[in-house]
Amino acid sequence: MAIEIVKDDQWQLYGKRFNSRLLIGTALYPSPQIMQQSIKASQSQIVTVSLRRQSPENQGGNSIWEFIKQLNCELLPNTAGCHSAKEAITLAQMSREIFNTNWIKLEVIGDEYNLQPDPFGTLEAAEKLINLGFDVFPYCTDDLVLCQRLHDVGCKVLMPWGAPIGTGRGLMNSYALQTIRERLPNVPLIVDAGIGKPSHAVQAMEIGYDGILLNTAVAQASDPIMMGQAFGEAVTAGRKGYLAGAMTKRQTAQPSTPVLGTPFWHQTN
Amino acid sequence: MHIGIAGAGLMGRLLGWQLLRAGHQVTLFDRDHIDGEASAARVAAAMLAPFSEVVNCERQIFDWGLASLELWPQLLKQLTSDSAQKIDYQQRGSIVVAHQQDQAYLDQFNQLLQTRASQYSDDIDLLTQNDIAKLEPTLAQRFNNGTFLRREGCIDNWGLLNELASTISRLGGNWHSNVDVNSVGPNTIISNNISHRFDLAIDTRGLGSKPQLSDLRGVRGEVLWVKAPEVHLSRPVRLMHPRYQLYIAPKPNQLFVIGATEIESESMSPITVRSSLELQSALYSIDSGFAEANIVKAYANCRPAFIDNLPRIDYEKGLMRINGLYRHGYLLSPTVLMTALNYIGDSNTSKSNDISENNDHSLIRFTDTEKVISKSTHSMTTATHSITTATKASAQ
Repeated sequence: MAIEIVKDDQWQLYGKRFNSRLLIGTALYPSPQIMQQSIKASQSQIVTVSLRRQSPENQGGNSIWEFIKQLNCELLPNTAGCHSAKEAITLAQMSREIFNTNWIKLEVIGDEYNLQPDPFGTLEAAEKLINLGFDVFPYCTDDLVLCQRLHDVGCKVLMPWGAPIGTGRGLMNSYALQTIRERLPNVPLIVDAGIGKPSHAVQAMEIGYDGILLNTAVAQASDPIMMGQAFGEAVTAGRKGYLAGAMTKRQTAQPSTPVLGTPFWHQTN
Repeated sequence: MHIGIAGAGLMGRLLGWQLLRAGHQVTLFDRDHIDGEASAARVAAAMLAPFSEVVNCERQIFDWGLASLELWPQLLKQLTSDSAQKIDYQQRGSIVVAHQQDQAYLDQFNQLLQTRASQYSDDIDLLTQNDIAKLEPTLAQRFNNGTFLRREGCIDNWGLLNELASTISRLGGNWHSNVDVNSVGPNTIISNNISHRFDLAIDTRGLGSKPQLSDLRGVRGEVLWVKAPEVHLSRPVRLMHPRYQLYIAPKPNQLFVIGATEIESESMSPITVRSSLELQSALYSIDSGFAEANIVKAYANCRPAFIDNLPRIDYEKGLMRINGLYRHGYLLSPTVLMTALNYIGDSNTSKSNDISENNDHSLIRFTDTEKVISKSTHSMTTATHSITTATKASAQ
């Protein structure tokens, strides 16, 4: 029974179905070649791509986009580097033209240094973008009410952070993340940002998150290709762990081999 | 041989000069003025930093870079004897620092350096504040730790480019500046729609070769050149930054260059406000003496790179293309130069090509008209032959 479930464990994001639950970024790799090889090794089917600083008005980034398109993955353009709803909306519209997709990873940065998302700007931009026909993937903090509001305005996927972008600190507030999971049980939830090690990805998947989005952890690893593979496997492991239903923690040790011949199970020394 | 070179950036100039020395007749074509103002070589900080670079690139860059560190002093000695001008060159080490909030980037840098250059630990020192004070007193006011990379250095690239140009003309090189190069093919350079025949055509146009090298891309970089009489840094400083690998390199006449941004874009538009602010705040955060510095130049240009960010020499009969030096023009050009000269020398004297097949990462790719033979490589050991051997080999 379980085997069938796991075999067909596809998920849907805005009507599109995927096998892999890992979304991966295309920046910061030592070379485009290593970027391609790492992403292939991760088996990811969705890649994020940034437009912000590449002079999109004259297709300045065409060469790198060509390398990204060769991966044959679903493209998720982002609005990285935007500091206001207005900037993000302009960039989203440009991305839609260039990449020919309604998908947009919405990032509105509120703090220049730790790149913390601006919840107010994000909510404002999300609502406007949805009215313009975009499928919005909002990068947000792990605040339940913010997530609810984003969902209310029409975001069908939510992407709370594990920790600030690029910090690799893992799930800083797993209680908050679990709360969002419990309160929004039917919304696809992706932990975006802050993942540093494969074990962080496992943890997020084990608490029932539907997917993981990361970039730096793979791109800046000593061996990005091997790390890509490691994260692909970690996401699968965490997902299976969640589906399989983990045992509950117990206070005392319990031998896994039944202790035959102990007549009284309450016996203590 | 009569050799035509299209593109008079760093690589074109070095080749032109060396080929003239070896007794060839050389004609250069360049879209730019002779001062090279539009070339990527002019914009560069001209760091010789194989250790810091290996953290973010493939190991070959490190090995070829170390080979270049041996070659530069020999090349510059030759240039001085040809031109009676001394080019400012230093290999007194570089210092890597991070502001407190970016300390993790420095930790990561050190960790990667240890993995990727493990057998060179003698050339790497972790510095305390006192150590920094001994090397660069003003830097110690802002940073309480850092990493010293003993063998790194930098070169006065403006001086070098100028000296190469005047030496080429003194040795009889023929230089067509401010001309269009329409295309470069075997034995042929077409410039301003006129076809010129050569025994060998060499294409070193950087991103200008893109119409003929479809896998070439540009990576935008922006730098500032500032004149800062109040700043007394004598060595290059690398500052950890979340997005770029930023260097401040001292140049003659109280000039400093800070760069470079790194953006996957082929836009040649002027430096953006954002980049300029980032670079300026980095300067100021290193030394407040930069506050009153004058911005002498703000450049934006594109580094030519292949998909693996490694350089490549494509060779077929009558045509050599050298490209893809990316952010490593000054670091790698001597090694690439020697490899190219060795091959030109070999093929010219009809020696058998000592092509070894045991090097996976080819710098040379031989192309014949029917197919690309990518297996063949010119062993990099050839490139590290002493410069005199190389020059002799290329003599007629």
